[in-house]
Amino acid sequence: MTNKKLGILLLSAFLLSIGGIKAQQATSMRINEVLVINEDNFVDDYGKRHTWIELFNNSAGSVNIQGCYLTNDKNNPKKYPIPKGDVLTLIPPRQHTLFWADNEPDRGTFHINFTLDPSKENYIALYDADGKTLIDEITIPAGQVADVSYGREMDGSGAWKPLKKVTPSTNNVTLDSNEKIDNFKENDSFGIGMTITAMAVVFCGLILLYVCFKYIGKLSISASKRKAKKVAGGNDIAANVGIESGEIFAAISMALYEISDDNHDIENTVLTIHKVKRIYSPWSSKIYGLRETPTIQKNQKK
Amino acid sequence: MLGSILLQTAGTQHESFLEFLGKNIETFLTYTGVYNATSGHLIMILVGLLFIFLAIKYEFEPMLLIPIGFGILIGNIPFKDAGLQVGIYEQGSVLNILYQGVTSGWYPPLIFLGIGAMTDFSALISNPKLMLIGAAAQFGIFGAYIIALQMGFEPNQAAAIGIIGGADGPTAIFLSSKLAPNLMGAIAVSAYSYMALVPIIQPPFMRLLTTKKERLIRMKPPRVVSSTEKIIFPIIGLLLTCFLVPSGLPLLGMLFFGNLLKESGVTRRLAETARGPLIDTITILLGITVGASTQATQFLTLNSIKIFMLGALSFVIATCAGVLFVKFFNLFLKKDNKINPLIGNAGVSAVPDSARISQIVGLEYDPTNYLLMHAMGPNVAGVIGSAVAAGVLLGFLG
Repeated sequence: MTNKKLGILLLSAFLLSIGGIKAQQATSMRINEVLVINEDNFVDDYGKRHTWIELFNNSAGSVNIQGCYLTNDKNNPKKYPIPKGDVLTLIPPRQHTLFWADNEPDRGTFHINFTLDPSKENYIALYDADGKTLIDEITIPAGQVADVSYGREMDGSGAWKPLKKVTPSTNNVTLDSNEKIDNFKENDSFGIGMTITAMAVVFCGLILLYVCFKYIGKLSISASKRKAKKVAGGNDIAANVGIESGEIFAAISMALYEISDDNHDIENTVLTIHKVKRIYSPWSSKIYGLRETPTIQKNQKK
Repeated sequence: MLGSILLQTAGTQHESFLEFLGKNIETFLTYTGVYNATSGHLIMILVGLLFIFLAIKYEFEPMLLIPIGFGILIGNIPFKDAGLQVGIYEQGSVLNILYQGVTSGWYPPLIFLGIGAMTDFSALISNPKLMLIGAAAQFGIFGAYIIALQMGFEPNQAAAIGIIGGADGPTAIFLSSKLAPNLMGAIAVSAYSYMALVPIIQPPFMRLLTTKKERLIRMKPPRVVSSTEKIIFPIIGLLLTCFLVPSGLPLLGMLFFGNLLKESGVTRRLAETARGPLIDTITILLGITVGASTQATQFLTLNSIKIFMLGALSFVIATCAGVLFVKFFNLFLKKDNKINPLIGNAGVSAVPDSARISQIVGLEYDPTNYLLMHAMGPNVAGVIGSAVAAGVLLGFLG
């Protein structure tokens, strides 16, 4: 039995650890935008223009990409290991980071050891820290136009195409309004659609619960009947088992109350404290400090 | 000659010192509450005092109205905005740090944990059809949503205002912190105020919408619920509702988790902490910070007045929807299985106040007809229903 419990515990721990590892992996990173020919565009910290590759964290949690690999060679997934120990490799949720493909890795974490060739198609891939798990890859077609980036339609998802605007380290699509709210304003200005949909969901949820517990209740009643029958040695149990009338409960309650009341009466250790009522302050009253004046009782003389 | 120079110097020093003192006092005066008070502050202080009065004199939700009322006093002490980190809206101030539980929305799920750990779902499990009343009463939310839209509020603001009709303070705070943070103070105060005023708002509409015959309906006593059913309820409840509306997870997850702590029977200490010290602590922090967030400068606006009006309307609509739904439902039920429509008002999730109102109004017409246990069914279903509704609104507009 103990071994069985231990086994269940170990299995749970194993499953949890798998979940944990998954959650911490960089698998939610995406290659998001690439500018191959940078003639009059974004400059790096050294004031130079180079090809750049933008990565995007497509999840709602921060992801650390340290130890992952960037490559432009299918046969060499570990071409550029993203250095460890740089706090900037921690990418916040739904945020971007930029790598300069200038073949000058000595210039810092974000300067990688290869360049892209504008005259031919370029393969770019991001590999996980094991150097085997492919996270994302893209082949940039040859013939890229200068200062026109090639990226995803939407950040982290959608098809690749030449983008209308070059957007290094920022969203490929700039949202200047809340699409959901605008949609409701346009199509449901009276709120009827929302009311119908939301009430349908609320009713569905509670109807599902109702149906579930209707049958669970039936099962429970029949199980309790079987149990009671077993205890009673096979005799039939009344059909209304478990459904007692209010009068029965009232009678039981009254009986219990009476018993407890009687018990109180026969207690011989009840201490009753009568409050001494005086209108003046107890601080100056002698009644609390002195005994009452003794009185002579005539009976004692006899 | 020397003496006169000394006297002159002393006189000049004396004058400059007096001038310095005068300026000091003048500066000090500009920092006082008296100097910075506006009529708005005084109005809000009166509102705070009214809350405290209602809580102490009439015992209207004292656990909420005392912290909120006192919070209103704290939040409306006028002061000079000199970066002293005093006010609730000044980053880094003590009140601001405590207020983060409201703005980030983590107080409400903890309150739900405590509610789950103290709620007995037996009444609902024994008569699961009462769940539908809890769903019907959510019309209050969407009735107010429709009216708020017509009054010119944006859909996200209208949704945050509408949730007042769920009669669930934590849910109102949670949703408004996500959808309309700038209206949260007014929404929270409105929700809690009307929850406290349930004994005044609901009975007239319950009487208006029911006949004497309906008020006398006696319901079947609830059956005994096994412990297995009680344990299964939070697990199935979580899976069904959250698979349907994952955005309700923070509230529903904590509600059902708290209930499992209670019903499992093996985590008594945890359940006691959740329904005791934990919920008390969070209630204090939530109440005082929500109250303090009603700084006159931020709170006294036309929108706040509109929100208060809409809040009252949403409570009325929710009450009427619950009662009318029971009457409609009775058309399909057998004669001996009818539901007393006086428990329809309990579909809002003001637990247990609205259930108590069903009991009180029921006893007025039949002193031996006890509706409390029956009303607890829709009442706790209302908690689930309003959390699901909040999840739907958050999913659509968040």
